[in-house]
Amino acid sequence: MRRYLLPVLAGLVLGGIVHIVTTLAMPQLALDNAFVRLSKLGPANSVQFLPDATPEEAIIPRADPAFINAVCRYNLDAGVLKVRVPTSADYTSVSFYTRRGLAYYSINDHAAGQRTIELQLMTPAQRAALPEDEEITRADRLIVESPTTEGIVLIRGFVREPGNRTRVRERLANVSCAPES
Amino acid sequence: MRITAILLAVAVGVVSGLGLTWLASAGALGFGTVKIGAWTTWPKSGTPEADPYSRAFYARSGELPLGSTDGIAFTATADDNGAALNGRCDIHIAGRMPAARFWTLTLYDGQGRLIENASERHGYTSAEVLWKPDSQIEIVLATRARGGNWIPTGGRERVSAVLRFYDAPIGLTGRSSNTVELPAVWQEFCP
Repeated sequence: MRRYLLPVLAGLVLGGIVHIVTTLAMPQLALDNAFVRLSKLGPANSVQFLPDATPEEAIIPRADPAFINAVCRYNLDAGVLKVRVPTSADYTSVSFYTRRGLAYYSINDHAAGQRTIELQLMTPAQRAALPEDEEITRADRLIVESPTTEGIVLIRGFVREPGNRTRVRERLANVSCAPES
Repeated sequence: MRITAILLAVAVGVVSGLGLTWLASAGALGFGTVKIGAWTTWPKSGTPEADPYSRAFYARSGELPLGSTDGIAFTATADDNGAALNGRCDIHIAGRMPAARFWTLTLYDGQGRLIENASERHGYTSAEVLWKPDSQIEIVLATRARGGNWIPTGGRERVSAVLRFYDAPIGLTGRSSNTVELPAVWQEFCP
């Protein structure tokens, strides 16, 4: 029995290393993450509505059914993206995720303090390339820096009771997410 | 003999390492989570500082975590005594809710899907729930219809409840935070 002790102990140490490496690699290796799931909905740099989750199907698992969800999968290779979200009467939020599903920024209607959340999404390099004076005139505009070229913008409108669904959806129909012209 | 020892070490390493990652990334081991009563959450999952376990969990499940300015989500898969939530029991969720602009409570089956029912009732929002006079709530998850706040469980053997607070000043410190009070969860009339 004793002669197995050392190999087993060595194996457990190795197991610890395997665990750490595979956990850290999981976001890169996951084949069915949110970005991949959403790519079935439509092309990048455009707005798509997530169909309401049903018992049979949900594109994003465990999303809150009390919300209307719109997504814009983006690729900033085409240039800076402009995102415009009219807020609804109850609660509206805009969240940003990297391709790997990391939430790096979010804002809601209260924090934005306006009837329309308007912002520009760009990479750090694109921001650095902004002409200096332009940066000053844009001080009142919201600039969001994406750590990755690709990612997800998730726009959510709260439906306080089922009867309000259509109204919230109509309000969010005016969401835009497109390269700046 | 030497070869056997090396093979044994490698086998133990691969199996234990992958097994641990498999369980941890399914959220089954509680690595990286904060527990408050029956409720668990991945703190910082909605920020760039999210820890590796929470990143692995969300990448594997395909879910998108709530952004930190958006809200915070707490999941209960067991009651206050640690017994798994069983949709054939009467599950009570009752108490006071922390301050938030809105909250929602949603019921899912063991696979994280909504549960089919005739009234299309999958949860409650704070705007539609019936409040008690002392600003407490009580929601019952059960198979059979009843008055008050009721969410049908469809008799599923495993269910989970997710409580989400939006635009809420909920800060978490430490692994078992006592700064936030969440409703109690208990079960009765189990078959």
